[in-house]
Amino acid sequence: MTRKRRRLWILLACGLGLGTATALVLTAFSDNLVFFVSPSDIAKVGGNGRTVRLGGLVEAGSVQRGSDGASFRVTDGANSIAVRYNGILPDLFREGQGVVTLGILQPDGGFRASEVLAKHDETYMPKEVAEALKKSGQWKPEAGPAPAGGAWKKPGG
Amino acid sequence: MRLSGAVLPYLAAAALVLTVTGLGWGLFVSPADWQQGDAVRIMYVHVPCAWLASAGYTGLAVCSILSLIWRHPLADLAAVEIGPVGAGFTALCLATGSLWGKPMWGAWWVWDARLTSVLVLFFLYLGHVALVRAFDDPTRGYRAGAILALVGAVNLPIIKFSVDWWNTLHQPASIGLTGAPSMAPAMLWPLLIAALGYTLVFATIVTVRLRAAVMERRIRGLLMARAASESGA
Amino acid sequence: MSHLPFIAVAYGLGVLVPLAFVVTAFQRMASARRKLAAIDPRDRWS
Repeated sequence: MTRKRRRLWILLACGLGLGTATALVLTAFSDNLVFFVSPSDIAKVGGNGRTVRLGGLVEAGSVQRGSDGASFRVTDGANSIAVRYNGILPDLFREGQGVVTLGILQPDGGFRASEVLAKHDETYMPKEVAEALKKSGQWKPEAGPAPAGGAWKKPGG
Repeated sequence: MRLSGAVLPYLAAAALVLTVTGLGWGLFVSPADWQQGDAVRIMYVHVPCAWLASAGYTGLAVCSILSLIWRHPLADLAAVEIGPVGAGFTALCLATGSLWGKPMWGAWWVWDARLTSVLVLFFLYLGHVALVRAFDDPTRGYRAGAILALVGAVNLPIIKFSVDWWNTLHQPASIGLTGAPSMAPAMLWPLLIAALGYTLVFATIVTVRLRAAVMERRIRGLLMARAASESGA
Repeated sequence: MSHLPFIAVAYGLGVLVPLAFVVTAFQRMASARRKLAAIDPRDRWS
């Protein structure tokens, strides 16, 4: 076995060991690596009074804007939670938009948020394409994300 | 090395033309996003920098393998020269991402898996830059730097797949090897041209730095040989 | 153009930072070439 060959094997063995160790660590800490939990996660384990980030889509028809904030429901399709927030909503906030809210689950099952971040998806399109998709009935922005790019038709699509 | 001298002018010219075209197109011609408005134009700077942050580190890792196993002398110099450039582009990626996140998400920075793993990449670059220069004997510095670079390479798949493995605020990739991109062609084209342009800019910078490094080593060798012959005479 | 300050700063950084890298790299190469030519004129680095 030449020295080059030996160095190659040593490096491969180290890489394999390191990769396995990293994969194990990431799997073990997976719960702490998520940025937010879904309404279904909260429905399963409850709130226990800790500050958590709740993420999901703003439910269609649930937004009520008041003078000092807004209330709306965050849904992941299976479960939804009512959120109350006093403060300025981000520009991208709308029904059907992804949001991540920081706050505490109240004993009555509502969620009191101290921060609301907008989470936009990976779809980028000009206004005309969005209008065309809406007009043709392929997509309702209030109901969820836009269809995959391959399904777009003209114009511009 | 001779070849790089012949290619360099064309490389630099192509880098300039493509980068100016991509950025100009992205800034003035491409349409605004239906919900993000004009802020989406930051993408034409941010995405190429993010791509180069990862690609540059991949180059660093390849040089480290060539250095550790085959002891290729040019690979050592290349790794030393890639480090600071990669760190610069990673910093640019973080800065432009922050400038995009504030108006769109509502926050300059969040500790989600994607942003955190890119910050770790930035510190790996900085660590490499410091480590390869920290030894009196350059060979030991190259060796230590190569090991650090390869250990850090485990971060690359984490960055790539962080948006798929965990809930993050950062959106998943719009362009993949499989499936149609979820981006209108009027935005995809300037993005691809800007990405290619920035890649060539990166290649130009590294090539020029590498040529300078080879010449500097030659100067040191000549000066040392001259000093030795003078003291021997 | 909406969010103009954010876009302007992002494009400014996106142009200036790579430009700074390019300029310093070419300066460094030119200075190395000059020094090399002064020490050993036979070395030709076009």
